[in-house]
Amino acid sequence: MQTVNTASVPEFVQRMWHTLPEGRVPAKIFNDPAVYELEKERLFSRAWCFLAHESEVPHPGDYVLRWIGDNSIIVVRDEHGEIRAHHNRCTHRGNQVCKAEMGNASHFRCSYHGWTFKNTGDLIGVPYYREVYRESLRKEEWGLKPVRIDTYAGLIFGTLDPEAEPLDEYLGGFQFYLDFFLKPGPNGTEAYGPPERWVADTDWKFCAENFGGDGYHTPVTHQFGFQLGFYPSSGKTHFMGYAVHIPGRGHLIGIGHTPGLPPFVGFPEEVVEGMQQALSPEQIEVFSPARMSVGTVFPNLSFLIQPFSLTPKQPGLKFCTMRLWHPRGPGKIEMFSWCLVPKDAPQSVKDELYRIYNLAFGPAGTFEQDDFENWTNLSRQNGASSAADFDLAYFQGLDWEPLKDHPGPGLAFTPYVTEIGFRNLWGTWLNYVSTPPGERVDPSRVPPAFHPPQ
Amino acid sequence: METGAQPRTPPGVPRTAEIPPEVRESITDFLYYEADLLDERHYEEWVELFTDDARYEVPVRVTREKKAEWDVSPTARIIDDSKEMLQVRVARLNTEYAWAEDPPSRVRHFITNIRIHPGDTEGEYAVRYNVLIYRSRGELPRYEVLSGQRRDVLRETPDGWRIAYRQVILDQSVLATYNLSYFV
Repeated sequence: MQTVNTASVPEFVQRMWHTLPEGRVPAKIFNDPAVYELEKERLFSRAWCFLAHESEVPHPGDYVLRWIGDNSIIVVRDEHGEIRAHHNRCTHRGNQVCKAEMGNASHFRCSYHGWTFKNTGDLIGVPYYREVYRESLRKEEWGLKPVRIDTYAGLIFGTLDPEAEPLDEYLGGFQFYLDFFLKPGPNGTEAYGPPERWVADTDWKFCAENFGGDGYHTPVTHQFGFQLGFYPSSGKTHFMGYAVHIPGRGHLIGIGHTPGLPPFVGFPEEVVEGMQQALSPEQIEVFSPARMSVGTVFPNLSFLIQPFSLTPKQPGLKFCTMRLWHPRGPGKIEMFSWCLVPKDAPQSVKDELYRIYNLAFGPAGTFEQDDFENWTNLSRQNGASSAADFDLAYFQGLDWEPLKDHPGPGLAFTPYVTEIGFRNLWGTWLNYVSTPPGERVDPSRVPPAFHPPQ
Repeated sequence: METGAQPRTPPGVPRTAEIPPEVRESITDFLYYEADLLDERHYEEWVELFTDDARYEVPVRVTREKKAEWDVSPTARIIDDSKEMLQVRVARLNTEYAWAEDPPSRVRHFITNIRIHPGDTEGEYAVRYNVLIYRSRGELPRYEVLSGQRRDVLRETPDGWRIAYRQVILDQSVLATYNLSYFV
């Protein structure tokens, strides 16, 4: 981790410790060069960052190229079947040793001087080893730099912080909610093909927040869906359901309910059976009545399950999308969008779910198009100089009380449309970017996201 | 939602076939007309140029090693539409809530390198050509340019040429556009 040239913390970020508990977020945090530097130094260097789905590297030698912050990372399954991650940087001069997005390789050979690394990262080939190094180079010390990884339900995460807490602890109980997206059957999910990738002048934080459960935007941004007759819920009941967050950890989820819907409606029959096997009674209680669900793993990995159909006025099927809002600069992202399908489902069901996902999400998706129109414009507005003195309204649910009988971890509130989890999300973000390198990020420092009346 | 036509261009880079000049001229004219409809945003007329069993695909392009079997994903799609789904997109653009296209983008399709081959079925032609798509939006001087190859199957009908299949292979693995709210 970088320990010198500590990025300076702008005034509007420091101010946020006071404004956030009052329901105000400085607009400039959503597009600012100094904030981006802080995020690289203090957030993406320390958090558990999503790298890949295990199904993207199913066989020995399979690899994909991904990012942690601005670092290129090779995720590869070695010849023994173990998944590993390495910095994509030759230890001799730093050249990129892997240039393809995905493939299969037993080793990676640098195109500059020819140092060759096994897919385990071990340095095995050095041209003119005897003549030039006279065997003084200790190859075992010059393998590709490894990245610490851990997995949950098929998701591979990596962290650049050797001191980071274990992934299980980091997720802090959010696994209960992730299972809805990741356990549609005993064998979980698989990614349907490589992700769609595109770039946008959008700050990753708006996307992570929106997919943390912004049910508020749906009837406006995506009104076309109601107009054409796509949604089973009417606008009148749209706000109903639950919003849950994990205090101090940032993770959050919105679970939309529509009164009167049959349990697990919209899932193919085979998938319902699988979910009943894979989920606990408490998870079934929370998720079987859900019309849709949308959540974010802090900082920038999100999931959505919602019903949609290829043509309007059909009952619709529930597809699952997973997306990574990868920061590529101040107010800039590169998008990775996957469709996750139940591994146990018949191929015809997987194909149909993918096609439905495709009409709704990805760069040409009928939902995604309008989201990016908004996110791009508001990133631009909040990058303006006057935004440093401007606070955005994050008041919803400031004095609400959490539900006492919620069967899952974290704090749950009803209805689903609220900003409580967003305040916890940005409190967690604030905690990371305010903690200098070398100090531990302490989740208990995150300010409470709500203040019920005494 | 069964679709009839499939890609029928021969594999590899086919040699130019001998096509009667009047067919070539007629197909070229049709492609220019279709591009004009898109650029002028006459979407309802445009979508009727597809056959009822048409399929419109924009596959995901992936950066692979030279030796890899494919770099156009055989499974992943940016768009995989039937005619009915294209009609949904057009109906969406016609609502007051297609925010991504209000105000509308300024889009221009440039078509070149048209090569025509007989299709597998009488009255069908496999047409490969390059397309360059320019898009400008709002008051920003920024613009996007997408390059790609279209692989169409055109069918001769009593109403003139119709598109039975279209695949657009874009020349980027990470698209330099924040959304594809316009047709490529």
